[in-house]
Formats: sequence, structure tokens, C-alpha cells
Amino acid sequence: MLSRIADSMFWMNRYVERSEGLLRMLHTSYVLSLDKGSNVNDNWVPLLNIFTTLSSSEKIALSQKPSNIIQHVLLDSQNPNSLKTLLNRARENARGMQDHITKEVWEQVNHLYHLINNPQTEKQLLSSDQLAAIESLLKNCLLYTGITDSTMPRGMGWNFMSMGKHVERCIMTISITAEHFNSLGPNQEKARDILYWRSLLFTLSGYEFHLKNYRSAETDKNVLDQTVFNMLFPHSVMYSLERIKKYQEDIIEQNQPLAKADLMKRFGRLYSFVEFADLDTLEGESLGTFLWSTQAQLASFNQQFSHTFFSYS
Amino acid sequence: MNIQALLTDYLRTGAWDEMLGENSVRAPYMKLMNALGQLSVDDLQKKHVHASDLFMNQGITFTVYSDDAGIERIFPFDVIPRIITSTEWNQIENGIKQRLRALNMFLHDIYHDQQILKDGVVPFSLIASCPHFTREVHGIDVPFNIYVHISGIDLIRGDEGKFYILEDNLRTPSGVSYMLENREVTKRLFPDQVAENNVKMVNNYPLLLHSILLSLSPRPISNPVAVILTPGVFNSAYYEHSFLARQMGIPLVEGADLLVNNSKVYMKTTRGLTQVDVIYRRVDDEYLDPLIFRPDSILGIPGLIAAYRKGNVAIVNAVGNGVADDKAVYAYVPQMIKYYLNETPILPNVPTYQMSDPEAREHVFANINNMVLKGTNQSGGYGMLMGNKASEMEIDQFRKKVDVSPREFIAQPIIKLSTVPCFLDGKLQARHVDLRPYALCGPSGIEIVPGGLTRVALREGSLVVNSSQGGGSKDTWIIDG
Repeated sequence: MLSRIADSMFWMNRYVERSEGLLRMLHTSYVLSLDKGSNVNDNWVPLLNIFTTLSSSEKIALSQKPSNIIQHVLLDSQNPNSLKTLLNRARENARGMQDHITKEVWEQVNHLYHLINNPQTEKQLLSSDQLAAIESLLKNCLLYTGITDSTMPRGMGWNFMSMGKHVERCIMTISITAEHFNSLGPNQEKARDILYWRSLLFTLSGYEFHLKNYRSAETDKNVLDQTVFNMLFPHSVMYSLERIKKYQEDIIEQNQPLAKADLMKRFGRLYSFVEFADLDTLEGESLGTFLWSTQAQLASFNQQFSHTFFSYS
Repeated sequence: MNIQALLTDYLRTGAWDEMLGENSVRAPYMKLMNALGQLSVDDLQKKHVHASDLFMNQGITFTVYSDDAGIERIFPFDVIPRIITSTEWNQIENGIKQRLRALNMFLHDIYHDQQILKDGVVPFSLIASCPHFTREVHGIDVPFNIYVHISGIDLIRGDEGKFYILEDNLRTPSGVSYMLENREVTKRLFPDQVAENNVKMVNNYPLLLHSILLSLSPRPISNPVAVILTPGVFNSAYYEHSFLARQMGIPLVEGADLLVNNSKVYMKTTRGLTQVDVIYRRVDDEYLDPLIFRPDSILGIPGLIAAYRKGNVAIVNAVGNGVADDKAVYAYVPQMIKYYLNETPILPNVPTYQMSDPEAREHVFANINNMVLKGTNQSGGYGMLMGNKASEMEIDQFRKKVDVSPREFIAQPIIKLSTVPCFLDGKLQARHVDLRPYALCGPSGIEIVPGGLTRVALREGSLVVNSSQGGGSKDTWIIDG
């Protein structure tokens, strides 16, 4: 397979996965911002921290009006992480490799692209019917995942697509978790309040999962267990790493790159680092260091991976 | 509706019509017109809509650039096929084969000994002043001495249906995907008629092309690697590049996918580097290699020409072909046929006046109403002047340009292109057409799939068929007769 095609496969999926994450986070923040009376603006902080590069005063200014936020994170083509930019890039990748993806996948990427670029959608997003528009975009991202799963052949292309999807998901879960633990501070009461954690759990579509599986009062510990270690939760760090493990092994096995030993070592170290971490010692500063280090190791593995297979120099 | 009703609105334009004779429908069109007579206007309208949907859904589009934003559009398609008999086709086929043999010999000669110039058949100054004469490839030997592997030579029909060669496209002619898709769509629209008329098949074109590409491999191995080199998704013909790659099952690569090491070309794959033997490039010469041609090109591959010179990679079509399809050199092709083959041309040229000749220039401007002026290195219907349509001022302005750089212009008498019926606005109307058959030239000879792309000027009275100027296309049938 051409390196460029592998690269496009990887990034097409990363972009759509990130779009899905962005939309779910926006949806959650928006719905929750309607709930609380007092510190409404706080609900937007994690979203703006992750998906924009604005200064803190700009963020505060933007938070005064939800429609401004929607405009900036969904429609602003100047923002490199806006939905419009992400979907345009996903389609650009798909266009350059139409002969390698199924017709169904191409049509869905094309549909997403036309949806976000349709003036009608823009109008709806800025009207009072914005939730319906956000939901429709989110549904279409999920549909993309379903279509790729049921139509793409399980060859090398699939391996690269799946790598992209789970690398992106892993990075997003880490950033979102870190954001929420960060803004918590030393506030013990808040840490046990499930209402505080709703935003994080909804964003990772794990609220119901949490209610069903965790009963003890140490809500913050439970949330951390779910988002980092729980293998049954499809957005957890560990689950994503387990998927990445499978696909990178397949890719390395079938391509036998020169950097094989180095890649395997790097990934093995990262995997054990998370697998054997001790939930009980992770709090406050040590938690921050742990999440930061996991992300840094993943980034360095990813860099080596791209360098090897996508001929980055 | 019967035939008479169909034909009542069919306006003659003064040009020779391929379907309608003096009083009656010409024989080759008989079956088709009878069948159309059975249909209502509504049926035809439905077929027209159906065809547009088929093109749109498959994403068969080209990109038009305006205001910096590329817009994807479908190439207008007319549902009524154009018919040519096999007798006429034989003449076309033989004429094009003859022409290509001479042009290939000319290119070999020009980039080696230049005998034709030394013998004074083609003037030195004409070649020396041609911007596409590529000194950088002088002396390079290409496999089997074939320079033009893929050509799209444009033909027109004048009075009494006589065929003329309008221009030679020997660099990277496009449109072959439309020829193939038009046939697929027509099969859906008129299945019975395609069968009943014994229309000759065109869809083996990609297979022929594939086998020619593989036969050019410099390495004598059983599975050489051939690729298509595209400028990328923003190129207006990108659809065609990916279509051909799919049909032949070979990789579609961009310049950044390839690199040259030790004068060999490789593509970057997930398994490391794979050597490339044959490149069907859809990138123009000047962008191919930034070390030799334009240094700012990011579409090309540094070192490619060095690998080509060493004979480690075959490039299709050869580099430097532009010197043979220059519109001023075109006028000398009949002499080339005589010089290299000692034959008389089977298909005539349109008479052509060189503007660098002052006498010819006087003559042309004295008879400007019957003349068309063309830039020698422009295509797509740009940079030309139709003397019968232009205003005094436009002619004056054009004349100034010609006087400044006469070598860059030629003139030809306006030929009334033949017309064929088109279904427009609910009735049959006569529109002007040309024909571009696609010829493939390989080690075992020249093959031309029976058919080609018929381009049609959809605007009433217009003689310009280019897609950028409101042109469309039709399926082209070669039938017995």
C-alpha cells in the first residue's frame, strides 16, 4: 500500500472520530448549560480548552453567548479544529484515495461534507433549533463509523483506519479526563458529586454505564477507573490501547519495517505503564503527571509510527 | 410522435448534416430515428434526466475554476448518439495510424539527428522558436522509439461530410473516460438500439492501455510496476485519473509518493520502497522534474529526467512531445508523411496560414470574415478569434497581438463543422460537432478503439466545442455500413 494512502486512511478516521467527540462534547455542554443557575459559563471551559487556541479572556467573552461558541467551534474555517475544518480535511483525504475506500464510505464522507457546508445547516445551527442540527451531525458521524465497519474490507487499509480512530479516541479521553480533574481543584465535596461528573460522562457517552457499574461514594475514583482502566467501556484509555495493540501488531507483522523492534518497545512500555498503574495512588498531582506522561508516550509512539509507515521525514 | 413530427422543428444551419440528407434521413440513422419516432417527447425528457442523474451520482465531474473556488460540474451529455459507418471509420483509422507513424518518426528525428530540418522540409526557425521543443531530452532513447503512446487527434467534417484533421493532441489528451462512461450510460438509455445497430465495442480501452504500459517496462520481469501520476485532487481531470487507475488496477500516485534514488524511481509504500518501471503521467512536462524544468514545481519528482535518460523508467507519453502538436508545426505534418513514409496523407489537414509569413498575414486580414485565428500553444478554446463573429475592435486588438509575436499565431479558413441532432428543450435541434478518437501505440502496433469522444457545441450557431466554452458530449457509434 502507498504510504500516502495509508496516511489518508489513518487521518480520515482521526478527523471523523475527532468530529464525533467534538459534537458530543458540544451537545453535552450545551444541554448542561441550560440546567444550572449560577456558574453556567464553567460548562464551556473544557470544550474551549480542548478544541480552541483562544486566550482566557477571549474564552470568557465567547462564553457569554452559546451561539458564538457554536459559530467558532463548528463553523469557523479559521479555527483549525472547527467541525468544518475537520470534515473538509476528512473529505480531502477521502477524495485522494477514492479507489481504496468503498463507495458507501465515500458517499457518507461526502454527505458529511455537504451537510456542514450547506447554508441551511449554518442557519439552523445559529437558530433556536440548534440542538436538532447538532444531533443530526452527530448521528451522521456515528453512521460513518457503522458504514466503515460493515463495508470496508479487513485489509491493510482497515488496520490503518482503525489505528487512526483509536489513537484519536485515546488522546481525546485523556484530554477530557485531565480537563475535568484539573478544574476540580482540591474541592472534596464536588469530587463526590455525580452532578459534577455528568458532563465528563455524557461527553464520553458513559453516564449510564457509570450508574450501572459503580455504586460506592468515591465518585471521582470511580470515574477515573471507568475512563482509564475499565476494559468494558469503549472510550476508556485501556480499551483504546488494547485495540491499538492489535492493529499495530498486524501492521508491523505484515510490513516488517526496519524500526520494528523500536516500535514494539515503545508501545509495550506505554501499554504496561497504564496497565500496571495503581488507581489508589493516582490523585492530585500524581494523577496529572500520570495522564500527561501517558499522552506524551502515545504521541511519541505515534510519531515513530507515522515516520515509519507514512514516510514522514 | 412519428419521424416527420420529430423533424418538423429540425432546423438546418447551412452546414452539412450527418443525419438528414436532401429530403430524407440518411441510411445509417434510419433504425435509430425510427425507434426515436416511437417515443414521446416525455420519454426522451425522462431519458435526459435519467442520464444526468447517472453522471451526478457517480461523481463524473470536472472542475471549473472561478473566483479561486473550484466548482464541480457534470459535463453536459446529449442522449442522442452520433453515428459513423464502418466505411468512414476505416478511413479515419488508416489516416490516424499513418499520421501517428509519421509523428513518432518526426519526434525521434527531432531529438536525435534532425534530418528533416537539415533536408529543409521543416524550417529550423519553426522548431527553434517552439516553446515546447525540449532541449533537455535531446538524445534520450525511448523504448521501441515510441513517443506518442496515447493520442487524441481531433477530426472535423466539412462539406459533403469530408473528414479533416483539426489538431493533434500528443501530450496528455483527456476525455477518454467520458467516451467510456457515455457508452455505459447509453446502454442504459437505449439498450435495444445498441444491440440492434451492432454498435462496435469500446470498453476494452483500459485493458489495451494496461498491456501497452506493461510492455514498455525497462526491467525484463514478469510483473513490472506501472503507475498513473496525477497532479492531485484539484486537477480538473482528476476523475479521469482515478477512473483509469481503477479500471486498470494500478496505483494512482502523486509526485510526493515517488522519489528517485541512484537514478531509479521508487514509490513510498508501507512496506518500504518499491521500484516503479512505467509512469503514465498526467502532469505536464514543465512540472515533471524541478531539477530540469520549473524549479518551483511541487507536482514533480526531482531526478526523474535523469532516471529517464538512463533508461530506468518509461514515461508515457514521452517528454518533449509538445514540439509535434504545436499548431504551427501541424501545418507541416502532410510533408512529414511524405518525407518519412513516402505516402500521401489519407486524412487532409485544414489549410493553415503561418502568421510569421507577412504575405499570408496580409491575406488573412484581408479575408478576416472567413478566418479563424488561433494561438499556437493554447487549447481549450482560449486565445482564439472567430473572424465572422468578432467586432472591428476585437479584430484590431487581435491584430496588434499578432503583429507583436506572429510566430505564436496561425489562421485557418472557417470550416462549417457538420451538425448532428441533439435533444434540447424538448425538440431535436442541429448542433455542430467534432470527433476525438483515442489511439494507442505500443510495440505491436497502433490500435484505435472504434468510437471516440464526440464533442458538441450546445449553443445555437456556436462552432466551439470545448467544455470550458459551453460544450457537451455524445456517445459515438461505429456501425456496419
